[in-house]
Amino acid sequence: MIKHFISLEWKQFRRASYFQKGLAIKILLFLAVIYFGGIALFLGGVMFFGLKKVFPDVDPIVMVNNYLIYWIFFELMIRYFIQQLPVMNIKPLMIIPIKRDSVIHYLLGKTTLSFFNFISLFIVFPFSIVLLFKGYPVSNVILWFFAILCITMSINFLNFLINKSNTVFYGIVSVVAAIVALRYFNIFDVTEPIGKIFNGLYNQPYLAIIPLLIMIGLYKANFNFIRKGFYLDGAISKKIKEVHATDLSWMDRFGSVAPFLKNDIKMITRNARPKQVVLMSFFFLFYGLFFFTQKIYIEEMPYLLGFASIFITGGFLLSFGQLVPSWDSEYYKLLMSQNIPYRQYLESKWYLMVFAVIVAFILSTPYLYFGVDIYLIIAAGALFNIGLNTFITLFGGALNRVPIELDTKAKAFSNTNGFNPTQLLIALPKMALPIIIFFIPYHFINFNAGLIALALSGLIGIVFKNVFLNKIEQVYQKGKYKTIAAFSEKK
Amino acid sequence: MIITHNLSKKYNEVSVLNIESLEIPKGQSFGLVGNNGAGKTTYFSLLLDLIQPTTGYIKNKDILVNESEDWKPFTSSFIDESFLIGYLTAEEYFYFIGELRGQNKADVDALVSQFEDFFHGEILGQKKYLRDLSKGNQKKAGIVAALIGNPEVIILDEPFANLDPTTQIRLKQIIKNLAQKHGVTVLVSSHDLLHVTDVCERIVVLEKGEVVKDLATNEATLKELELHFAGSEVL
Repeated sequence: MIKHFISLEWKQFRRASYFQKGLAIKILLFLAVIYFGGIALFLGGVMFFGLKKVFPDVDPIVMVNNYLIYWIFFELMIRYFIQQLPVMNIKPLMIIPIKRDSVIHYLLGKTTLSFFNFISLFIVFPFSIVLLFKGYPVSNVILWFFAILCITMSINFLNFLINKSNTVFYGIVSVVAAIVALRYFNIFDVTEPIGKIFNGLYNQPYLAIIPLLIMIGLYKANFNFIRKGFYLDGAISKKIKEVHATDLSWMDRFGSVAPFLKNDIKMITRNARPKQVVLMSFFFLFYGLFFFTQKIYIEEMPYLLGFASIFITGGFLLSFGQLVPSWDSEYYKLLMSQNIPYRQYLESKWYLMVFAVIVAFILSTPYLYFGVDIYLIIAAGALFNIGLNTFITLFGGALNRVPIELDTKAKAFSNTNGFNPTQLLIALPKMALPIIIFFIPYHFINFNAGLIALALSGLIGIVFKNVFLNKIEQVYQKGKYKTIAAFSEKK
Repeated sequence: MIITHNLSKKYNEVSVLNIESLEIPKGQSFGLVGNNGAGKTTYFSLLLDLIQPTTGYIKNKDILVNESEDWKPFTSSFIDESFLIGYLTAEEYFYFIGELRGQNKADVDALVSQFEDFFHGEILGQKKYLRDLSKGNQKKAGIVAALIGNPEVIILDEPFANLDPTTQIRLKQIIKNLAQKHGVTVLVSSHDLLHVTDVCERIVVLEKGEVVKDLATNEATLKELELHFAGSEVL
């Protein structure tokens, strides 16, 4: 049975059109895996000695346990944004004699092989070896290692639930927010009791049973969740809600792009996926708090300021914009055969992103609290976002041919996070460019020069808008047939 | 109106369409029939520039469809559900298409109200998104949307499939009207020989991508088509 599934998966993977992207990208991805795997191994190897050196009074294992909780949150976050969830087309499987349970077991089993599970393994494994060589008690170390593995797997399964269920997502977000807030305002530091718990895990090795049980529990929860959705009317067909139409005719003043803008607003407000993404982009606004509250960033790593400023106003741009033609993948053929010049379509998306940057900029006014300099750099970052990042994003979109199912929240079997590594690569220039543009004049002249350079680069982009859009249109025009074919592929 | 010249489409060296020459004059109601894989949808997709021809070209009112976008203002189509925007209600969808084709709300309302009969009370005022309608009702909305904005060329792929009998009969009336009274060039494809002979002045039979019959419809056409597809025709 499992053998059949694997062969089906392999075929789906190999034959999907978006798999056939450039060799260069595949090589880059491969290198990235090697790189991160290598870093993890190295980190695990030297962690013991590093900790010993920096904190000579504290046992490294205690130190690790104390801060384990942050790693767990970090991993959960990374996974939420990047990890691809298993996708399987269950409709054809429902009517042939395969036990539902074995489909689900297979699906969940598949997630255990994810690269993300190996990252912490790669760190913890060498660390444990070092511990053993240093004469730490064998049973404690081995069972601690085992406990960490169980925790990693628990994160793996928890991530699945978070992705599929909004309740769990908001629950986790509020817990994390509460923990961070309590610590930030010095009310209560949960790190300590949680550190004690993890240390207890090490000291009382038989307690490793607890993470094991948690893992099994989460597995069961996932299993039940999927099992419940394993019906046509649960997983595949949707509940019908009554529609409340909103009047958007005030947007007509935007002229020829107005119909698209109105449509995009409806698309965002009426579909699960874009709603989630836009909500996330709102959180980017708070990104600056990480940087501007720490003197160290302002004084010692000022090049990061350019970076931070991009994020504050660019949340929508980065999260929504990078999936630009994909949002319309469900009806792309209509757009391509209707009375719409490509140019107008792209321009409307450009306006949408510009609009979002401006809104984010207005919302970022409270950053004035951190001083005028900070606010000015946010303004410069916003200009850069409008003038250059929008175009880079649109340009990157031409390479993006993964169809999106807009309203997939209710489905347990499809991937709701359309983040893929290609997009990560496209995202690199968006983040690196502002750092470079800001840092070079800053380094050689002064802060204001960096500020002006960043703002100017954005203004230049706006001035050359038509040139950029024309170029981008050509790229889209060239890939049009490929995009249509990829978008009409059923998942 | 529509001139096809030396058109072929190959996928990995397998030819799926090969039409040497086909001319469709303005105002003709044109039917395309053929078994599965005969190339009907491929032809329509080429006509709408959704796929790229391997050789040859299609000219829509003297515009090369794969080189210019200028055919879009006077051409409309409904091929499949990917021509619908699932998260809009039927009205919103009509208005959206209307805006794209330079029609205001009143224009769209006036046009759509003519089809209340056709909708059978299941499309307008439903407070439902298109994605939540049944296949047949989705099709009704898609077909009517293709009529918005006074197009000169209308392309409908399998318009009769999934429709209930009442609606099929009404649709036939609509299509006939368009060609006869409004001079619209209507292209339909269908598996239903009876409907096609009822509606179309001219019927072209595709087989494995090639034109094997090109008939002006008369009383004998249905019989001829039936014989052809039954495979008992004497060669």
